[in-house]
Amino acid sequence: SGAAWARGLLSWARPERWLASGSLFPLSCIHSSTALQKIGKWEKKNRIVYPPQLLGEPRRPAEIYHCRREIKYSKDKMWYLAKLIKGMSIDQALAQLEFSDKKGAKVIKEVLLEAQEMAVRKHNVEFKSNLHIAESQTGRGRYVKRLRCHGKGMFGMMRISRCHYFVKLVEGPPPPPEPPRTGFDQAKEYVQQLRNRTLVHTL
Amino acid sequence: VLVLVRSPLPRLRALLQRCWGRMERGLWPGLFGGQSPPWGPAVAVQGLALVPQGINDSGESSTEAPSLLESVVWMAAPKQRRTIEVNRCRRRHPSKLIEIKRNIDVCPECGNLKQKHVLCGYCYTKVKEETRLIRMEIYKKEGGPFNSPTVETVVLYEGEKPTEKDDSKRIIERARKRPSWFVQN
Repeated sequence: SGAAWARGLLSWARPERWLASGSLFPLSCIHSSTALQKIGKWEKKNRIVYPPQLLGEPRRPAEIYHCRREIKYSKDKMWYLAKLIKGMSIDQALAQLEFSDKKGAKVIKEVLLEAQEMAVRKHNVEFKSNLHIAESQTGRGRYVKRLRCHGKGMFGMMRISRCHYFVKLVEGPPPPPEPPRTGFDQAKEYVQQLRNRTLVHTL
Repeated sequence: VLVLVRSPLPRLRALLQRCWGRMERGLWPGLFGGQSPPWGPAVAVQGLALVPQGINDSGESSTEAPSLLESVVWMAAPKQRRTIEVNRCRRRHPSKLIEIKRNIDVCPECGNLKQKHVLCGYCYTKVKEETRLIRMEIYKKEGGPFNSPTVETVVLYEGEKPTEKDDSKRIIERARKRPSWFVQN
């Protein structure tokens, strides 16, 4: 009963917008000593609620944030896959990952399918193919040091590395790729920089 | 006859000394096929003068210490730590990035994705599963290894009768409807 009273008190003292929207059950945002230690920042990004749009404003595209933590893979190797699918449409990304030989490709494919399903069910996305990958990043997970035995009684310490994978899906077709910077563009920028020079600390 | 010997390493030097000593003392007569050695004792070759010198081991041991350092192989090692900028330039070079595959198509049978030069994965697993069940039926009929008959095999599904051509063949029956992709002859 004491815990329930404390929970009731805390839920009253924290008037967040999540409670107003009624999408989350109020007691679930208070964690006492459950296995879920900390909700990461990326997961919290899904919870922001914007004020309703005015009539004249262009429609704000839906954004879906999803991640997977502590994947047993190296963050550098995962980064190559994340770089591959950056900026692609979700169908193209799933096709590329399906035929990639890397271990992380299978994991990323699962994450993308989960995110797509979340988008359709919870985030009011009409067409599941109308999504593109705005951001895809990797992060370092918890490393563990272990002994690796060599011959002649020698040993070394090896690191068992884990990584996190973060993805942000945005509704709409993928943006057109930027044209590569030519020498002419660089020259124009240089000339502009020279023209922007002024006198400082003077009258 | 001038015999020039290059100044060898001490151990080789010692070996040469021993051979030369044996030759001089006549303990190695088989060297020239029974004939007398062509050079006489009066030939004092500049190169050879080095060889009979210092047969004692003390001379060798004093010269051995610096030669060990000379015979050590020097390994390559990095001089400076590579900065993260240099590391990034190497790791993110276009040749190291994964190329996007342009040979992915849609399978006309099942609609899944497939690579152009590879069989569709879904269709392949479907056929593999059916083949496994047919093989189980065959195993049940044969009852053990090495019992396969010498005639052909025909697979018949529900509601199919063996035709005249199938008289001489072994018939395997599967208790399901014929799949659309398994065409009957």
